[in-house]
Amino acid sequence: MFHSPVEILAAFDTGFIWDYRHELWEGFKNTMKVAAIGVALAFVIGLLMGAARAHRIPVISQIGRAYVEVIRNTPILVQMFFLYYGLAQLGYRVEAFTVAWLSIAIWGGAFNTENFRAGFEAVPARFREAGYALGFSPLQTFLNVTLPIGGRIALPSSINTYISVLKNTSLLLVISYPELTSVAYNIQANTFKTIEMFTVLALAYLAIVWTLSALIRLLEARLALPERA
Amino acid sequence: MPEIPDWFRPVAEYMLREGLPETLKIAAVAVTASTLIGLLLGTLMTINFLPLRSVIRLYVEVWRGIPILVTVLFIYWLPAFDIGPLRIQMNAYASAAVGLTLWGSAQVAEATRGAVQSIPKEQHEAAAALGLGWIGRHTFVIVPQALRRLLPPMVGLLVNIIQNTTIAFVIGVSELLETGNRQFENLTLATGNGHPFTIFGFVLVVFFIISFPLTLLARYLERRLV
Amino acid sequence: MKRLIAITGLVVLVAAIVAALSVAAPTAKTGPEAKLPPKPRLPALPAEVRSRGKWQIGVKCDTPPFGWQDTSGRNRGYDVEVARQFARWAFGSATRVDFTCTTTASRIPTLESKRVDMIISTLTWTAQREQQIDYSVPYYGAVGRLLVRNSTTVGTLKTWMSGKKVASTSGSIYDRWIKNCFKDTTFQLISSPSAGVLALKNQQVDAFMYDDAFLVGVAANDPNTRLTVHRFLDVPWGIGIRKGETSMKAWVDAAIRGMKARDMFWPIMRRTVPRRFYPTFRKNVPSPKVTPRYPRANPPENNCPA
Repeated sequence: MFHSPVEILAAFDTGFIWDYRHELWEGFKNTMKVAAIGVALAFVIGLLMGAARAHRIPVISQIGRAYVEVIRNTPILVQMFFLYYGLAQLGYRVEAFTVAWLSIAIWGGAFNTENFRAGFEAVPARFREAGYALGFSPLQTFLNVTLPIGGRIALPSSINTYISVLKNTSLLLVISYPELTSVAYNIQANTFKTIEMFTVLALAYLAIVWTLSALIRLLEARLALPERA
Repeated sequence: MPEIPDWFRPVAEYMLREGLPETLKIAAVAVTASTLIGLLLGTLMTINFLPLRSVIRLYVEVWRGIPILVTVLFIYWLPAFDIGPLRIQMNAYASAAVGLTLWGSAQVAEATRGAVQSIPKEQHEAAAALGLGWIGRHTFVIVPQALRRLLPPMVGLLVNIIQNTTIAFVIGVSELLETGNRQFENLTLATGNGHPFTIFGFVLVVFFIISFPLTLLARYLERRLV
Repeated sequence: MKRLIAITGLVVLVAAIVAALSVAAPTAKTGPEAKLPPKPRLPALPAEVRSRGKWQIGVKCDTPPFGWQDTSGRNRGYDVEVARQFARWAFGSATRVDFTCTTTASRIPTLESKRVDMIISTLTWTAQREQQIDYSVPYYGAVGRLLVRNSTTVGTLKTWMSGKKVASTSGSIYDRWIKNCFKDTTFQLISSPSAGVLALKNQQVDAFMYDDAFLVGVAANDPNTRLTVHRFLDVPWGIGIRKGETSMKAWVDAAIRGMKARDMFWPIMRRTVPRRFYPTFRKNVPSPKVTPRYPRANPPENNCPA
């Protein structure tokens, strides 16, 4: 059929994209919806569990360790299947949307736990001691010293995790949640314009990820610690 | 030790016999190729030649920015094209391997760049003082030291790639998840109960058994080498 | 006891005589059903297939009884058996065929990207698809059915569908039909037929719309679901072939006609569905008495119920 990459490009017909702009926009919104919830929950889980692990709080620390190791050493796709079909088996009426944000939040939370734990543990001991010297309780020390500093140390790796969470929403295709990749796949199933659709999809993700990365790194530049001792 | 149900044995055997080797094959190819390509690109990125750096930087940002699934779908559905007398059309297995390699090499390149740039200037100067040119310097002094710093994250990347081989399921490669899903569907239709916890739990366990020791290895290397 | 032996002996004798007669007169013309040679005259195989020495055929791997895989990884089902018959007639052995698993959403792209020679994957004829690919003559006549939970009652299709959630696979004829004709219905996509069954059982959807042969098996195996009486989209399936590949189409058409004349489709169907479904599916398969035809004058996806 095609004899060179140039011919492939020349034969591109992207007119159908305009016809399906409504579906694609819905898909994009769904991607952002799930990603936003996933990132927010990953932040909360990472913060709390990371703090628990950094401070070696008994029981929670061990549970946290198990949670982190299991999620980080198994594929997210399998976790999605496990949740989607498993919850249904247990009798819960779960929508694809619920499993969608739940699965990526659980995944993101595990990675973020390690990010925050490393951040908190990297706060030099003397800062904490200074906190105690000022009369702070352990909790107050955490809130006023460890968290602000450790959180900022963890910022680069956290941001990487959040962006991965966004990219992983593409996998929700397998549980038929209508996010962007899912919508694109279904459009090509009905229009047979396969390679055009996936090219546009790849470019769309690049646009989304690059824009968000740039914005976040601007934020990071403002939040970053001054040159650490 | 709970009794293993009768139906499970043929299902598990099928998954391990047909699915697991595919998973490992894709992972092996992707890791090897990612490492070689990534090391090369990462080292080249440190050269102070803007056009080269920009091109490699573009490569890195593109393949790290596009979700791996989308990359794999794109490669798989590319129409066959000819390069000279050769007709290129990748089957599902090759598409998955290439897609993973593009992502993996971008990760390795970025990590290599960071590692090489973290080698202190004194090393460069000492090597230059010994009469080594750029290539000699990098081959014998800089990159070996960078490799030591790279080893822990590379093992981490290996774990990541093993997990990401499940993406090949979407384009029909019979790897571990796909074989498990196939049996789950058959059981659901034949008996009404697909045993998702057992089947997908089994997949999780197999991946865990493969990945966890590697994760521990990465931690050990980090303590010893860095 | 003696009478039993006598009767058995008589039956055996009669059977032997009948067998001898049929063997002795292989070309006896007994009316319109002439005894045909076991293999029809087929046109030449397309060059690429001949040089390869085997078929590459896309089939379903998730849709019993048409295309599925058992625990040893073997492809099984009606579509798969048709493919194996092609292999026998083209190359002398049923093993001379490589199967590629396709889904409803991926089968036409798989064909168009030349990964396979043809697709035998529950492909219903539609006018829209025929703009993209060529169809062989029909090889199975399917009908669409609706699977619901036992507690659901459905009156007329049109009134009931409004406001409901109905599932089907991406790119299927049901996908287009529901989007065309039932704009008030929420169409829920599912990734595979079994996912649709689960979605129905877990009350994520109100109904699952799919092909009769598949759904009949599901309803039979699951006492909590049933089929409604509605039958729609009575359109046969064809084998998908790339546009313009006339030699491929000629071979496939001749093979299907040959199988139809020799009533070979019914034994395949019998091997793939349980005995109690034989009456349900007898009329669906091509045979000397049954000729499915594509409704070219009245494309199904535009055929909205009144």
